[in-house]
Amino acid sequence: MTEAAAHAESAEPILRLRGVGRRFGGLHAVSDVDLDVIPGERRAILGPNGAGKTTLFNVVAGDLPVTSGRIELFGRDVTREPARQRAKLGLARSYQQSRLFLGLSVEDNIFLAIVGVGRGHLRPVVLPRKDAELRARAREAARRAAIDGRLGDVVGALAHGEHRQVALAMALAAEPKLLMLDEPASGLSRGERQLLTELLLALDADITLILIEHDMDIALRVAERVTMMHEGRVIVEGTPAEIRANQLVHDLYLGSHYGSEPEGGASG
Amino acid sequence: MSPFAWHPRPMSEKNLVELVIGVTLLLFLAVFPVFGVGYWVSFVLTQTFLIGIAAASLVFLTAYGGMVSLAQTALYGISAFALGNMVTKGAVKGLHLGLDPWLAVVLAIAITTAIGLVFGAVASRSAGIYFLMITLTYAVIAFTFFGQVTQVSGFSGIAGIADRTPALVGDPVTQPNRLYYIALVTALVVYFAIRHVVRTPFGISLQGVRDDPVRMGSLGYNVALHRTLAFTFAAFIASLAGVLYGWWNGVIAPDNVGLGATVDLLIVAVIGGLGRVEGAWLGAFAFVVINNYVRDVSVPVLGGSFNTVIGLIFLAIVIVSPSGLMGLWDRLWDAAGYREGSGPRAAAAAGTAGPQA
Repeated sequence: MTEAAAHAESAEPILRLRGVGRRFGGLHAVSDVDLDVIPGERRAILGPNGAGKTTLFNVVAGDLPVTSGRIELFGRDVTREPARQRAKLGLARSYQQSRLFLGLSVEDNIFLAIVGVGRGHLRPVVLPRKDAELRARAREAARRAAIDGRLGDVVGALAHGEHRQVALAMALAAEPKLLMLDEPASGLSRGERQLLTELLLALDADITLILIEHDMDIALRVAERVTMMHEGRVIVEGTPAEIRANQLVHDLYLGSHYGSEPEGGASG
Repeated sequence: MSPFAWHPRPMSEKNLVELVIGVTLLLFLAVFPVFGVGYWVSFVLTQTFLIGIAAASLVFLTAYGGMVSLAQTALYGISAFALGNMVTKGAVKGLHLGLDPWLAVVLAIAITTAIGLVFGAVASRSAGIYFLMITLTYAVIAFTFFGQVTQVSGFSGIAGIADRTPALVGDPVTQPNRLYYIALVTALVVYFAIRHVVRTPFGISLQGVRDDPVRMGSLGYNVALHRTLAFTFAAFIASLAGVLYGWWNGVIAPDNVGLGATVDLLIVAVIGGLGRVEGAWLGAFAFVVINNYVRDVSVPVLGGSFNTVIGLIFLAIVIVSPSGLMGLWDRLWDAAGYREGSGPRAAAAAGTAGPQA
């Protein structure tokens, strides 16, 4: 991957994958993936269903072990580290099916995301001042994800779109250095997608974002670089404009609609 | 029955009603021995308090940790056996070490909690039916151990525990009111301790582990450690019930921790409701009363026995209200809220009608 190597020269990558693979029996869900993501970058990972995007997220976050290759996070080899250690280093992710704690309130869900990366997981007493501070941060994250109207409601009682908002609030609340969102726009209404896009564009410049998204408008507006996957492999990497112009991407994924479109905010 | 907590949660109408019921009930229980029938003080209610404590340890693990443990009876038995071995002296079974009664209490609790830590560490990596099976193994191990290792018990058990109580407890037979109040206060402390813990970072994250352990891992939590410590906390609570049981019964024998007793505690928790801690004492009360007064009632065809009656009641509860008597109360309240169309539960249950679109 000479392209990846050239790209990585500009800064020490925050995430570096070398030859990463994940096999499920005879199925190579992810094969020999090299990837470099530099600090502050906005990266979109595209590809048809079954391309291995979510599996790639799972191995990077540590939810699944790799079957081959090496993963470096913030300059540290984390290939054998469990998910919780990677979260402590500053990685937060969301899931395609919002995996939330359905028996807890919206505020408690976000509270858990904050406590998770901090200290005091095991504190068995209420400390009024400390808890008030943590809860203020939870409410602030809820406000940013526009879900602050339902703080006290049990998450199991919320609608699908609201689940996505809670998931986003949790990801933001952890104040991650690397934020990985798996199809954050799926199931959202047009208005909610607009809100999401604005929120992603307004994200702090020092947060690195990796995004899996089927909504091309969002993906290509937000991303600075795009990695295209197909059948578990990275087939193309480049800027949104390059991706739009690439014939292979067209054949496999985009169709004719996007190629002929000159505008579209490729700079993100 | 909300605690006097200062976390800023608005008290709903239902919380208020429960608080009033709870305080009234407590006042009633506080003065009951003054007017009450001795049998009800010494037998029914004291037993309700201490069985409720053991059941509360199970409800805590189930409701907040998603762990249905069959080891809680074994753990309170271990506590009672430890107490019996350390406190008795003279020609009784076991080690009869004759330690100071208070020292023996502290050691019994400490030993049980430590064993809970080891049990929990082994069981914490499994969940669901596998967790249930591992804790069933603990129950069988405890029964067999105390039955076969005659140095610490043997099948006839250890007697004379009630003769060696601390001065504060006195003689449970001639001074039953003392044990009544001690059991009542202990039950209250356990209740409020659980209510407090589930609002702390530890308790909230335990509920996270219950809902989605994998997600908790990706948020940075050590799920196995959380489960282990929750199990240890529940073992500590069960050990308190064990000490009270030792004093109250005076004898602890392997049969008290056998499979029958293990299932009984599960029945208590299910009747009361596995979703709310209050249910532990409600279930214990129902169980003890039925055990006492329905023993001789004859059921047509099936004949007369406690097991038949409690079995039918258990069946009815599981079918009508899987979340037990507390769940029945919750549902009645919701139903009333729907009818009036104004209760806070009705608004919450209506779901999408919230202030946020």
